[in-house]
Formats: sequence, C-alpha cells, structure tokens
Amino acid sequence: MAFLSVREVSVQIGKMELIDRISLDIEKGQILGLVGESGSGKSLTAMAIMGLLPLIGGRISHGSVTLDGTNLMTLPEADFRALRGRRIALITQNPMTSLDPMLQVGAQIDQVARLHLGLGAEAAKTRSIDLLQQLRIPNAALVYLQYPHQMSGGMKQRIVIAMALAGDPDLIIADEPTTALDVTIQAQIIQILVDLVRERGLALLLITHDMGVVAQACDQVVVLYAGRVAESNAVNAIFAQSAHPYTRALIACITRAGQAAGSLTGISGLVPSAASYAAGCRFQPRCTLAQAICSDVAPALQSHGQGRVSCHFPQGAQHG
Amino acid sequence: MAEAAAKSANLVEVRTLSKIFTTRASLFGRQRSMTAVGDVTLDIPRGRVTGVVGESGCGKSTLARLVLRLLEATRGQVLFDGVDLASLPGSALRQLRRRMQFVFQDPYSSIDPRYSVSRALLEPMLVQGKTLDAKKSVEHVHRLMAMVGLNPALARSYPHQLSGGQKQRVGIGRALALQPEFLVLDEPTASLDVSIQAQIVALLERLKQDLGLTYLFISHDLGLIRYFCDRIVVMYLGRVVEVLPTANAAPRHPYTRALMDSTFEPDPLRRRVINRLSGEIPDAFNLPSGCAYAPRCPNATERCRSERPAIAFDGGHALACHHPLQ
Repeated sequence: MAFLSVREVSVQIGKMELIDRISLDIEKGQILGLVGESGSGKSLTAMAIMGLLPLIGGRISHGSVTLDGTNLMTLPEADFRALRGRRIALITQNPMTSLDPMLQVGAQIDQVARLHLGLGAEAAKTRSIDLLQQLRIPNAALVYLQYPHQMSGGMKQRIVIAMALAGDPDLIIADEPTTALDVTIQAQIIQILVDLVRERGLALLLITHDMGVVAQACDQVVVLYAGRVAESNAVNAIFAQSAHPYTRALIACITRAGQAAGSLTGISGLVPSAASYAAGCRFQPRCTLAQAICSDVAPALQSHGQGRVSCHFPQGAQHG
Repeated sequence: MAEAAAKSANLVEVRTLSKIFTTRASLFGRQRSMTAVGDVTLDIPRGRVTGVVGESGCGKSTLARLVLRLLEATRGQVLFDGVDLASLPGSALRQLRRRMQFVFQDPYSSIDPRYSVSRALLEPMLVQGKTLDAKKSVEHVHRLMAMVGLNPALARSYPHQLSGGQKQRVGIGRALALQPEFLVLDEPTASLDVSIQAQIVALLERLKQDLGLTYLFISHDLGLIRYFCDRIVVMYLGRVVEVLPTANAAPRHPYTRALMDSTFEPDPLRRRVINRLSGEIPDAFNLPSGCAYAPRCPNATERCRSERPAIAFDGGHALACHHPLQ
C-alpha cells in the first residue's frame, strides 16, 4: 500500500455529497498534483485527509484514508491531533491563515518543534534558524526576530514552509501555495518544495489549479471535476496523451506564446454546482464528445493504459 | 477620407507620464512619497492589442487608470486621438469618455450590487444623458447580451446569481454600451477559472475583430500576454523597462528574461531551471537610486547601482538597461 492511500473517499456536508469516491496514492519522495477548477473538491480532499471535516460540519461517508499503514478513519481525535503538524503538515494559499500577526516568526516556528519534538527553547531556536537557512533565507537570524507584517508575501510563505518542516513531517499538503504570489516568487517557492521532496524524501500533495505548476513540479497527477476523479496518471502521460476530454480541454485553455490567434476557445458552459449534480457524467453538458449514454450513466473510474480515467469514450483507447 | 488619412497610426500616445503618491506626515512617520508610475512614454496603435505585464507594485494598474484619466497624473500627457486629456474640462471629457472604456478585474466593484444585468447594461446610456423608451431599452440590452454571449434570460438576474465569468461578460457588455473605440482591460480574467478565462479571452478576441477595437491589456500573466498581445510593455517598479515589438521578440532586459524563465510551460518535458538566488522586490518607498532591478540582477554593475538607465527606442523595441542581453 502506498505511503498515503486515499481509497474511494466520499465527503458529505449535511445531505450534500461534495466528493464522490476519490482515490489517490502518494509515495515518499513523490509529488502528486491534485488539479481542478473551483468547486472540484480539491481543498475538501485535503481537509478529509487531515481529519478536519468536522470543523466545517462535514464527514467522510465512504472509503478510507491510510497513512503509513495507519487507518486515519478510526484514529481517536487526540491521536490525530498529535499527528497533525508532526507527520502531516499543511501549507495554505494565504500565509496569514497560519501565522500569528502578534508574534515574532521565529517563536512561531519554535512552537512547532517544542510541541511535536519536545525540544527545549535553545534547541528549538537553533533548529528554526537552521531551517530558515535551509530555505535559503538571507540573514536567517535576523528574520527569526521579525514579525509577519515586516515581510513580503514570498517571505511569509517561506516562514510557513519552515513551520511545516519544523515538526519533521512525512507528508506535506500544500493547498495552492503560490497562487497569491508573483511569478518570479512563485517559481522560487515551487523550486524550494521540489528540492525538499527530493532531499528529505517527503511526500507532497500539491493542490493547484495551474497546469503550468503541475507540469513543472509533479510526478503524478489527479484531475478532479465536480467532485469526481476525471483522470489520474503520470505527469508526462497527462500532458502528452490525456484520455479524458476534460483534461485535454483544460490543457487547451492555457495560453502560450506562438499559439495561433483565435485558437483559444475555452470550455463552453459552467462548472455545475453540487446542488445541481445530475445523473450521468458531470462533464457531459460541456463535453464535445458526449453521447446519449453520458447523460444517463456515470462512467466508473477504470484502468486505462498506465492511468485511470472515468469516461465512456476515453481517448488513445488502449483497453485497460 | 482626407480626415482619416491625417489620423495618426496611434490612437493613444502617452508622454513622460508620472504619478507620485505621497503619504501625509503623522505621528507614525514623516511624509514619504513613491513613484507609482515614472516617466512612461508609450504609443498605443489603433486596432492592436498593447499588453502591459509586470508583478505586483509595478504600476500597471495605476498606468491603466492614468491613461483614461480615472486618476490625475502628476506630470506628463495622455493624447487620445491627438487630444490632450488633461486639457479637457469635465463636460468635454465626459463626451470623449464614450470612446474609451475600462474593464475591471471585478466588474461589480464598479456596478451597484442591487442592479440587475439589464439595469447595469443601461446605466452607461443614462450617464451620457440618453434615455431610451421601454422597447428600445430591451433591444439595447439584448443586443449587448448577444454580443458578449449572455443568455437573454439572465437580463433580470442580480450579480449574486451570476458566476464570475457571467459577471465579467456583463462588465464587458457595459464597456461596449456606448460603442467605444478603445478599451483598457485591467486583469479582466485574473479571478476566473482557467476554462472560463479562456472563454473571456476568446470573446475579447472576437469583439476586437468584429468592432475594430484598440486594447490596452494589463496582466501579470506573461503566457496570456504573449498569446493575446501584439506588443508587450514590461514594467518594473513604476517604470517601463522594455517594450517588445512582437509577442515573440527575444527579450533584451534581464528582468523580462527572468519573467519569462519564471513562467512555467504546460509541458513536463520543458521544465524550468529556477535560479534560487534572485531576491525580493524592493520597497517602493525606498527605491535604490540607480536601476530599480539592480539588486536582483545577475548582470548589475556599479554603474547600474548609481545611474538609472534611460529608456532608448530602437524601432519598435524599447529598452532601459546598461547591459542588455546579447
């Protein structure tokens, strides 16, 4: 079994099913990109893995989440709390959701190591400054004493990464970690995350809407659409021979230099809202390949080449 | 037509335009000033898309507002079809405004949230003092909705009932209501999902073609700018550092190069090698005296740190750098 294994997880809030049987596997030393547009269920998947759904009145209604052989579904909340920050760390889009504006950033990084690793004040400080240096922050000892408001967005995000690393986790979940940053800073942060995975053998779940970030950083990709997995495969296969019409359309939406003028069309229509999910394939109203069966029967997620796809008419039809 | 022949190839000409913001002296500090836009000179050719790209704080949105005189410049001129906007009294400016319109990132930041789609689309006419009878109003609204690809059934909808893409279509429809020649688009797709962003870009392309519009297109997304724009203006901390005459022209400014190298290709076989050492954007209130990019520039010399490079024009290519690439 993979290091993190999410098996056919469904998530409900109230009576509404927002995620329908999502599966994903991440090994240590690997980056898995979870891609989708707003409302696809990316962030809910992260919350489900971290056991945080009760905070928003949600629950896992089907399936299982296993980390390093431990079934997280049956873990008592006290044990789960010890796990968060220690073995699983979260990096969010807005660093200020993780940082205390009233506290020097060094003290905030120290807290994690003191709580989870039981370090004393001095040892924690040495370790925090060391972490800042590893993240290539110039003048780390000085930055250690600064408050969040004295820093740029890119620097704050680096502090949040240092906090995530402070508990020496095995799995990092990064939810749109560079979306709020300028491109030159985004490139640096993505590079830092990639290096960490390679150097420390971490498992990284990288949640993003940006196919450029996926292409740059990820090993494996899971494409979500409206709460379901559309397709999952190795990154090269996702870009070179995507099987699902949605994946192909999403890649075709990316603008690049040298592309013929007028060649951009977008995907017609809108992402359905959870309240209006109909029977059948949820992409069907926007799909150019849709047939009668697509509106009647939801396609199951099936093996297709090296990956998995949920489509009645997958492309590059090797039979799985 | 003789008059047409006399027209300049440029619909808009921006001449040494500057905007300096000053904080008031207070208990918390003395007066400080920052140059949001400094000495920008720029031609916006008719029927073309001029793109402005840069990171946060580079002054691109301030420039967009200065060009339509939504914000008063500290120095410099904006000539619209040969007329200096700053010289116009309010009434004449309002007349001219018909010909130039603004599209915002969040269209409903400029529309009353209690307005239905139909009322939002009629408002520009009312502002210009044109009243339409009921039948004409419906026709006008439906014509605009068709132009921007909105289902007429949405005419009575309110903004909270619309998706982000639909709201932006309303914003574009409003901008088109008075049949303008010139649109300034400030990050019109930045808050939209990619599939919707592509729809809006395709719409803007079609409208430009059909209506012969001229665009000034502001974005932080170099991939989008290079796809959509005929010319690319690169800004860094309030100044134009380079103007590329075509989307595929090779960059000569190290900052333009860095921006291109930081933009990820949607192709895992063409991954970027990221230079880890390039630093942070400096504080706009505390700019270095020489080239603002010098602290991050791998090619910077003593001269760059002391003397700001002037922008030099070479045909359509403009560059402000002491040590250009190649």
